[in-house]
Amino acid sequence: MTPRVPIGDAGGVSPFRRLPLYWRVCLINGAVFAVGTLALVVSPASVSRNVLASEAVVLVVGLVVMLVTNGLLLRSSLAPVDRVVREMEVVELSDGHRLEQPTTDPGARLVRGYNAMLDRLESERSARSAHALAAQESERHRIAQELHDQVGQDLTVVLLGLKRLDGRVPADVAGELELLRESVRAGLDDVGRVARQLRPGVLDDLGLASALAALCSDVAAHGSLGVRRTVSPGLPVLTAEQELVVYRVAQEALTNVARHARASTVSVSLMRLGPDVVLEVNDDGTAAAGLVPGSGLAGMQERALLVGGTVAVTGGAGNGTSVRLSLPVTEPVTEGGR
Amino acid sequence: MIRILLADDHALVRRGVRLILEQEPDLAVVAEAADGAEAVTALREHEVDLAILDIAMPVMTGLQAAREIARRRTPPRVLMLSMHDNEQYFFQALKSGASGYVLKSVADEDLVAAVRATMRGDTFVYPGAMGSLARDYLGRLRRGERVPDTVLTEREDQVLKLVAEGRSSKEIAQDLTISLRTVERHRENILAKLGMRDRTQLTRYAIRAGLIEP
Repeated sequence: MTPRVPIGDAGGVSPFRRLPLYWRVCLINGAVFAVGTLALVVSPASVSRNVLASEAVVLVVGLVVMLVTNGLLLRSSLAPVDRVVREMEVVELSDGHRLEQPTTDPGARLVRGYNAMLDRLESERSARSAHALAAQESERHRIAQELHDQVGQDLTVVLLGLKRLDGRVPADVAGELELLRESVRAGLDDVGRVARQLRPGVLDDLGLASALAALCSDVAAHGSLGVRRTVSPGLPVLTAEQELVVYRVAQEALTNVARHARASTVSVSLMRLGPDVVLEVNDDGTAAAGLVPGSGLAGMQERALLVGGTVAVTGGAGNGTSVRLSLPVTEPVTEGGR
Repeated sequence: MIRILLADDHALVRRGVRLILEQEPDLAVVAEAADGAEAVTALREHEVDLAILDIAMPVMTGLQAAREIARRRTPPRVLMLSMHDNEQYFFQALKSGASGYVLKSVADEDLVAAVRATMRGDTFVYPGAMGSLARDYLGRLRRGERVPDTVLTEREDQVLKLVAEGRSSKEIAQDLTISLRTVERHRENILAKLGMRDRTQLTRYAIRAGLIEP
């Protein structure tokens, strides 16, 4: 995404250009003063005790020549400093923008150093957010598992126990008992729902194709959106991380379509294109679902980056939007699915 | 007497299920197991008519155990117990050889009915899956595709549409001011008329409809 700037690429540059900025300014000033002094020594010009008009003119011209020379020489050295300062005030990480690299300009080193710093910051930041995402996912996984295996089972015990009491309690508390049973049932449903939102168990248990199917039928059930789903046969086997990324991107894209796109149908397809596994979510909506602020495009891109993939959003001008996730896979083609 | 094998990794859940089942005079739990592998082993030692398996168990899951059991020469019927309100698990359970799928959150109400349906040779379709089967059927009808040649009564048609909208049996009963029993009967009739009564028919339909991967 970001153009990598070669660092320390000073080949073919004169030793002068490799000098630190401070010494370069000193050298330039010194050189100008030396030339001026030399000019005074070798030229016939002299200054009388009472300065004559002609001598003043020569002095002023000499001074102006020195200043202009100095200015011109320093300009090429110091201009990049101002450029970098201006850039630093407005720079946004992760937009991939970099300062143009001057090739002959002696300020190239400054710009190069600055660009390299941006690169480092960016890669550190994406590593950090990758780490945060992974930590979040594993925590969600743990909680969802706990909810299923512990809370869910405990509530099931209570539900079955209450059923056993049915018909054995005095009539005046039978209604109460029924109420309790319904509450426990509602609790069990809630536990299941929360666990599912935290982590799609179907992905771990039944694999990506089933998880996508569940996702699509969820969307179809809760709204007027028609959902079409195609999973090409013979997809390469994806790692658990890759499957999770595909699932989460599909989930995010479908949520956007349902919320913002004003679409009537959406298609979800998973296929192999050359060296990539590609997930595409296309809608026929009038609004650009993928481009609405807060639509989670940045989140999708961050997730994709985790596994070396990219997310692109195209269209949106009334002709539907397409969200496409490409994941490079290196494994040979084998039987997909589980 | 129907002899039952019960497998769940949670001992208290097992006890609860057992007590519910044994309230019926003709049901007897003859063996228990704490995971899928134990269940498969227990089947070698006990004559069993029905295996009730929790879908999520350590060592060997209920789905794996069901596949294993289906390979036997005279396999018992299999019923799945599950926390997952998700039709994909239901269809996978059918593919693995189970005849029914009961959500734990309605196990107190549905378990015995599911056991009876299973022993009759019917499939116990869990309500969540019925919704997407209904949606798929209505979608085909709308698109003018060929659908099983059936005549649903007006009531059944109403019920089918409500099911497709994701309404529970209880809600449908309230909406149409009919009893829960009647709704259940309508659902059974609808499935039978659409040719989705037993495991094989249902699985075939779900695969053709693209609800699950073949």
